[in-house]
Amino acid sequence: MLTEILNLFFFFSALIIGAYLIRHYIFTLTVLRSAKSKPVNAATCKSVYEPSVSILIPAHNEEKVVGRLLQKMTELSYPKDKLEIILINDASTDSTGRIAEDYSNQHKLIKVLHRDKQTGGKGKASALNAALKQAIGEIVLCFDADYLPHSDIIAKIVEKFSDPSVGAVQGRPVVLNEPRNIVTRLITLERIGGYRVDQEARDILGLIPQFGGTVGGFRRSIVSGFGGFDESMLTEDTDLTFQIYLAGYKIRYAGDAECYEEAVDTWKAYWRQRHRWAKGHMQVCFKHEYQVLTSKKLKWKEKIDGLLLLHIYFMPIITFLSFLAGGSLILFGSPVAGALWFVVLVSFYSFVGNYAPFFEIGIGAHLDGRKRVQWLAPLMIFSFLYNVFICTKAFFDLIVGKLLGRSHSDWEKTEHLGNGNCYIEN
Amino acid sequence: MREKVNQVKTINRIATVFSVEIIILCLIASLRFVNIQSTITLIIFNLFFASLFFQLNGSSTTKIGMLTAGNIIGVFWNSFFYYLSLSWIEYFGLSFNAVFTLIYPILNLMWIVPFWSLSLSFLPKMQFPKTA
Repeated sequence: MLTEILNLFFFFSALIIGAYLIRHYIFTLTVLRSAKSKPVNAATCKSVYEPSVSILIPAHNEEKVVGRLLQKMTELSYPKDKLEIILINDASTDSTGRIAEDYSNQHKLIKVLHRDKQTGGKGKASALNAALKQAIGEIVLCFDADYLPHSDIIAKIVEKFSDPSVGAVQGRPVVLNEPRNIVTRLITLERIGGYRVDQEARDILGLIPQFGGTVGGFRRSIVSGFGGFDESMLTEDTDLTFQIYLAGYKIRYAGDAECYEEAVDTWKAYWRQRHRWAKGHMQVCFKHEYQVLTSKKLKWKEKIDGLLLLHIYFMPIITFLSFLAGGSLILFGSPVAGALWFVVLVSFYSFVGNYAPFFEIGIGAHLDGRKRVQWLAPLMIFSFLYNVFICTKAFFDLIVGKLLGRSHSDWEKTEHLGNGNCYIEN
Repeated sequence: MREKVNQVKTINRIATVFSVEIIILCLIASLRFVNIQSTITLIIFNLFFASLFFQLNGSSTTKIGMLTAGNIIGVFWNSFFYYLSLSWIEYFGLSFNAVFTLIYPILNLMWIVPFWSLSLSFLPKMQFPKTA
């Protein structure tokens, strides 16, 4: 009886894992073919579509990085009369507010929204909602405080909004502190797989590119119509992705709209960040799963991709359980389909945030003109195993939180130190 | 000049035919001297490698050379662990066979993943390199 249950579980879980592998193989092939047909050094953006834009920058104790971001904001090439920048100093206890005020005094387009411990400090979604009420731009862009955009990024993102069916646009984050250590290098690989291949392929194939909450924007009218961001969600960006699609709009990916980010550089910080992402993603999965399945506004391919995207943070758990089930069956002498066993083990060489396997990472790095970073691909197995624990804990925390009626209402943020300059200063 | 170009083309063709022969020999050797799993692994590796790697920029000679190298490494790797497992089965008994089945894909991924990562470095850079 136990053997039959194990066999059944192993068979179905391996099939699901196989479906993800096929999905990423298709993504990789799609991007390869697209790269071959694209002209090298494509011309810079020449769009004439220039709507009014509000940039929201939520900041909670970001004194080490907020100054350099505001400096970059003053250097943006977008027409200044159509631009407003709102920095939300959300219950900071350091000098974030003072630095922002200094910039605001020097540059008219920068506004500072101060929130004290009574009105603010309730998390990123809450801070964004407060700023959204003050924003007047037709398009609202969001940047985290540790990001460093190129001067022409606004035009590249906004260009996609010329299509009225587009509800949000996502740009591409590039890791700034890549050479720092093995953690930042592995995150670089993950980002390459996630953005250079995954997001781009989803955009080309008309699936669901994900809005990442930073280096991207949305139509203010749409999100205001939703009543702003859902403050009960830990990953309000993923929640917004599905709200936009369920409302009948789509999200586009602007791969040439690059912005540098500071990746976490310790395993402890990595755990905290990924735990929040995993828990938030699972929250969104429980919230939207049924709606995605039954929605009449989504095409069948969007439904499939949406469901695979929603369940991505469950996959490390399923993969590991599948490994245990398959391993037990083999050790107890029960036959296991060799091909399925191979599929399960291949997925150990995947990154968790996007479930991108090693071959996708390699192609992404190569398309980015990288020569050596993909040599770290064999280490992906350790990152995956680490994520098995992260996602399992996130799942149990979510379930326990639901049972006990706990809800999050504070900042679960990553500390930014202003480290790294591999593209900017070197 | 034209004669030289033709000579290079001929050499490339001979190299390609030679490489294909080696790949076929590797597949036969894996089936004859190792086991069916190793042959299937090599076939999957060839299909996967050819479908992705051959779409990248770079000379076809380099690509087929890498594919051939992959097959040679695969045969040696598989035969080494196969004969090692046979000796261990002799020592520990038949129960070790299950352990070998368990770790067999991991052992193969231990050469496939690094080989894939390294082989990409032998091709010329593609477009869109990151610059500030």
